[in-house]
Amino acid sequence: MQVLSNSSISLEESSKFIEQELLGCFDHSNFIVFRGQMGAGKTTLIKKICNFLGVEESVSSPTFSLVNQYSTAKGQLVYHFDFYRIEEVEEAFDFGVEEYFDSEAICLVEWAENVEELLPNKRVEVQIELTLEEEKREYTISLHS
Amino acid sequence: MKGCILAIESSCDETSAAIMINREVKSNLIANQTIHADYGGVVPELASREHQKNILPVVDQALKKAKVSIDELEAIAYTKGPGLLGSLLVGSSFAKGIALSRNLPLIEVNHMKAHILAHFIKDENKEPELPFLCLTVSGGHTQIVKVKSQLDMEVLGETLDDAAGEAFDKAAKMMNLPYPGGPLIDELAKKGNEDRFKFKVGEMEGYNFSFSGLKTGILYFLRDEVKKDPDFIEKNKADLCASIQKSIVDALMLKLNKAVKDTGITHLALAGGVSANSKLRAAFTELEEKACTCYIPKFEYCTDNAAMIAIAAHYLIESGEIAKQASAPEPRMKI
Repeated sequence: MQVLSNSSISLEESSKFIEQELLGCFDHSNFIVFRGQMGAGKTTLIKKICNFLGVEESVSSPTFSLVNQYSTAKGQLVYHFDFYRIEEVEEAFDFGVEEYFDSEAICLVEWAENVEELLPNKRVEVQIELTLEEEKREYTISLHS
Repeated sequence: MKGCILAIESSCDETSAAIMINREVKSNLIANQTIHADYGGVVPELASREHQKNILPVVDQALKKAKVSIDELEAIAYTKGPGLLGSLLVGSSFAKGIALSRNLPLIEVNHMKAHILAHFIKDENKEPELPFLCLTVSGGHTQIVKVKSQLDMEVLGETLDDAAGEAFDKAAKMMNLPYPGGPLIDELAKKGNEDRFKFKVGEMEGYNFSFSGLKTGILYFLRDEVKKDPDFIEKNKADLCASIQKSIVDALMLKLNKAVKDTGITHLALAGGVSANSKLRAAFTELEEKACTCYIPKFEYCTDNAAMIAIAAHYLIESGEIAKQASAPEPRMKI
């Protein structure tokens, strides 16, 4: 695990952060895991990333649907996963998760904790931590390979 | 048999099959423990392989319960979307299989429209007068829809992030309540003071909703309070539940009220699984005091079920909207 960056920023400043730090992650891997407790802002960050990628569909929480599919302005597929409701790895297999993971598509993953053993070795991890100020978050980006 | 429809719903966790004749439900089965028990199987809830196991027994029992043979069917309907692709595929493949082998018309149904059309299932409940506004609230969806006719609907607003039902479940999770937390919050809230705590729900433009900020608000509030008193959640559970429930319901009603005011439509309908919430039902029916007429379908037609797919198919058949064999699921299908 190699830490690529660590920064503490407010939601207003997050656009710059996404442009300068996060979009560069796709050079390393199309598979990005977002970790952080409920309410930390995982879906919100993914919404913003999708915005930058030119996704036109509405990006909403896939907690219920498990996976949402979008396409970028360049026509690349994006899978947005949420494994919050998954209790056993079997359940993820049951909906064919390996086919999604093995595709060439961009995978943005929430609640990966519940399917840890299925994650590809090479991936980017974004850890979101709360800070003392309500509107600020600490983001740590690392490369797992 | 004239007008006999077999409908299949498999958009998310539930596998359901229903038989309907002329808007009357003859059977409406949802795969659950009893069906599995009859077939000697086990029951993890989720996903497409489960749907594959469930679909045959559930269709079989729907036919038997309705006392209808497969030869008497006149149309096959299935949920085209929105939903989980793997789950939708099971229903669509099965429906297409029967339609092809029996040479029956295939009807593709939008799950969100079906939730609304559940109001037109023939039973003792009154049907809404057209046009009406429908607030659809479930674990996966939150929408305000203007219903001009059974086939002509327009989404006025929807959630931009979490669904209302999801907000209930996740708030419950933060208070360490078991899943699904929505019904538990409703129960605990009855003993609580809903004005004790204030939680802010994001203000969105038009008739749209956002519930992800509420989640973050609760998270920070609980973090700070638990720091001062580790037993804070336990001691204040009822008040917390009541206050959170009020925030969510108020946010829903605010936008519904705005839609009533702006459109002048006074016939209002509720749909989706969250319509079981007692606070929401009370707030919704209170609108009758403002000269509105309110409609809530039977609860069995509010949660995901195939009877609502059948009623939607009924209207599609009437207007001659028959699908081709090339019909395929659409996971993010719009109204």
